Amino acid sequence: MSASLVLILVVATAYLATHLLYEWLARRLLIVSGAEYLVLGVLLGPQVSGVISREAADSFGPIIVLGIGWIGLTVGMQFYLPRLVRITGLTFRLAVIESFVTLSVVTGVLWWALPALGLTSKFWAIVPALALGAIAVASTPSGLDIALRDRKRREPVVNQLETSLGVNAFVAVVTAGLLFSWVHRAPTSALRPPTPTEWAVITVGVGVLGGTLFHLFLGEERKVDRLVVSLGGAIILASGAAAYLNVSPVLATLVVGIVLVNTSRGRAELRTVLAEAERPFYYVLLLLAGLSWRPSTSVTVIAVVALYLVTRTVSKVYTTRATTAWNKATPQLGRDWGKALIGQGRLTVALALDYARRPELPIGDVVFTAALLSVLLTEFAAARLVRAALLPIVEPLRDLAHRLPWVDTAEHTAEHPAETAIPSSESGATSGVFVPQVNEGASTLFGPDVDGPLAALPEQGSTEERTPGASR
Amino acid sequence: MRRVIVLIMLYLLMQAVLPLGEGTPAALVLMAFGFLILGAYSVGELATTIRLPKIVGYLVAGLAVGPAALNFVSTPVMEQLAPVSELAIALIAFLAGAELHLDEVRKRGVLLVKMMTAELSVSFLGIVVVLVSLHRFLPFLNGAPMSEVLGFSILFASVAVVHSPAVTMALLSESGAKGVVARTTLGVVLLADVAVVLSFSGALALARVLAPPPGGEGIGFVTVLWEIGGAVLVGAALGAIVALYLRFIRRELFIFAILVAFFGAEIAGLMHVETLLTLLVAGFVAENAGGGEGEHLRHAMERAGAPIFVVFFALAGAKIKPDAVLQLWPLVIPIVVVRAAGIWAGTRLGAWWAKAEPEAAKYTWMGLISQAGVAIGLSSVVATVYPERGEEMRTLFLAMIAINETVGPILFRIALLRSGEATPQSFRGGGH
Repeated sequence: MSASLVLILVVATAYLATHLLYEWLARRLLIVSGAEYLVLGVLLGPQVSGVISREAADSFGPIIVLGIGWIGLTVGMQFYLPRLVRITGLTFRLAVIESFVTLSVVTGVLWWALPALGLTSKFWAIVPALALGAIAVASTPSGLDIALRDRKRREPVVNQLETSLGVNAFVAVVTAGLLFSWVHRAPTSALRPPTPTEWAVITVGVGVLGGTLFHLFLGEERKVDRLVVSLGGAIILASGAAAYLNVSPVLATLVVGIVLVNTSRGRAELRTVLAEAERPFYYVLLLLAGLSWRPSTSVTVIAVVALYLVTRTVSKVYTTRATTAWNKATPQLGRDWGKALIGQGRLTVALALDYARRPELPIGDVVFTAALLSVLLTEFAAARLVRAALLPIVEPLRDLAHRLPWVDTAEHTAEHPAETAIPSSESGATSGVFVPQVNEGASTLFGPDVDGPLAALPEQGSTEERTPGASR
Repeated sequence: MRRVIVLIMLYLLMQAVLPLGEGTPAALVLMAFGFLILGAYSVGELATTIRLPKIVGYLVAGLAVGPAALNFVSTPVMEQLAPVSELAIALIAFLAGAELHLDEVRKRGVLLVKMMTAELSVSFLGIVVVLVSLHRFLPFLNGAPMSEVLGFSILFASVAVVHSPAVTMALLSESGAKGVVARTTLGVVLLADVAVVLSFSGALALARVLAPPPGGEGIGFVTVLWEIGGAVLVGAALGAIVALYLRFIRRELFIFAILVAFFGAEIAGLMHVETLLTLLVAGFVAENAGGGEGEHLRHAMERAGAPIFVVFFALAGAKIKPDAVLQLWPLVIPIVVVRAAGIWAGTRLGAWWAKAEPEAAKYTWMGLISQAGVAIGLSSVVATVYPERGEEMRTLFLAMIAINETVGPILFRIALLRSGEATPQSFRGGGH
């Protein structure tokens, strides 16, 4: 039986089985589905059963690059500027500090540990350390999506989490993109090899060009069929061009996504198209990641993985706790909202695959193993971690709504419509004291209009910009 | 103007990226795929402004970026993209099968069989006669004994009568035409496809007897029977699974559509049955046993397949060898003309025999001229069995297909417009 057929059968069967179980698992047990595909990939791959050979696994290279690009696009689609500018400075500050502290701590610890464990030279250790630092910053939005499925996302802590998830993704992708530009292998055919800065500009340029092509290609048209053609073309071209140039496909398609969401009038339709294929794409990517994974039982590798997991978790939890307290926002956000950022998922897999597919970079297997084990250990519990972080703070906030008129809840709005006006443009941060974000679901980075991928689909029949008869 | 800017930007992107990159072949293939989607689609849209079908634009785009001209899509890249063509053919066959409704087969089945029989017979005879007459000028028949001339002429004609379900489906999807001419053309094309697969297998067996291939063995009746009968069985089973899915699950149709086509093509290859027929039957069964849900799957499949169809036609264009067409045109032109005349005469004869509607009698032949993937595939089979002569035959085929592939969609568009089943506006706003 051919490898393609095995892959189709496995994906189809596993997908259907998970699909039927997904709602139940998510609702009843707050378990995020996905890690099982990783395990399935390992079991089918050359490391265990050999049902799919190494050559066959390598032949799925274009699908991996496309999957990586797809994930970059879904991340980029979250950055809708009119919504971003409404987020308060303090919300951004907390998110950015957490991202950079995690990046610095994990990079620093591993930069010291990797040569100490004899895995790489001191000179080269910065590369895998920085890659793991970037990967460590990324957190999965799946937990939040499942934990808050039926709730309105207006509490400050939810707003903070959504902003942090977005900033985390952005920092992770940009750091990885810059790293790949920095350690880029010089092409032999060019007259003068481009500098790292030029490679970074080229990466962003590919993204801008991909987004501009899409915009020009589509014009004012919003028919779903044409969207599929142009979106497919833009993602494939940008990912393919970035991979061919050996720069970061995730960064290139992140830029495509930012251009698309900020220039296209068919944002709702775009998200519909993206969401239709997103979960299956992620599962295929997990399966392919499992196929190409070479797990190691070496003590040094296990030590690196443990160090990565501990450093990352400690950094996420304690940085958020400290910065929240420093900014006097603990009463509104609670002490433990950083726990909700521990889960890792699709972006982690994409970044790890992007690193591991480059043979010129050191200890790709170790970086890949650390990232995949982190996904395996944290993703299924992501929703529970979110709930654990939110429970102590969300219910008290509901009571707060009756005392503070600018805290908007559905009930309060209905009862006191006149009291829910926005206090001022600086309402989010006054004199360094955190004041909850007010009014409109639109105040969040991933509000109802620009939501995270899993919750990306607008309510059926409620898309604000749908053209009548747009989809056939 | 917007399309021209897109094309200029794509051209500049490729010019800038190709010299700088040293990525894996997989990355190059992916980039070429994306480039073909956007580039060919833009040329397709430009084609509609000068009243040509989009498909002609896709073919021209493929020709322009293929090995014959700019070479952005080189021969090795085209080989790597072969699965896209296989997937497109599977999607087209499934969609074509899903267009056949049981009620219509009951109502118009006899009419379609009569028209198809007459059309295929007359065009087949015409081509055999012209090949036998010209055999001294044909490189693969020059100096051969009459038995071999006859055997190869029959083999050639069995491939030359093939139509293009892909072009037919694409134009119907583009125009949204659903009238008598549209449905008669589609019905004849689909039935002819089944008949051609059967007749080709018979012609190949006959050719092997009259002109044994070097070191080759004959193919048995059982093999042919399995290719056809097995395809019906496998297709029916696949269709039944799809129908069950549509009845009881009905979710994630976008992904499911791609999986069905991919799985169908793979399983057909694995079981050595005819891919086209397998998917055709699967589409027919799924549509008619799917409890009225088949339409949703068809729409999902059309949507998911749209970029794949664009690339499929662009790749077909990239395979055209202009130098071969120019070299062989004195031989190709008579064959193309005789084939077209045979289709015209056969269709008129069949329409008279079946008492078809006047519009169907007048315009159906114009939708039967196109040739594309199936013809290329069958000519490749001939080249495999007869490495030397088959290769010469394939060059002639490709030259002939290049003309029919370009002229066919234009003629079918004219037929749909003249019969009043489509308007210029419907072509501009169409799907692909």
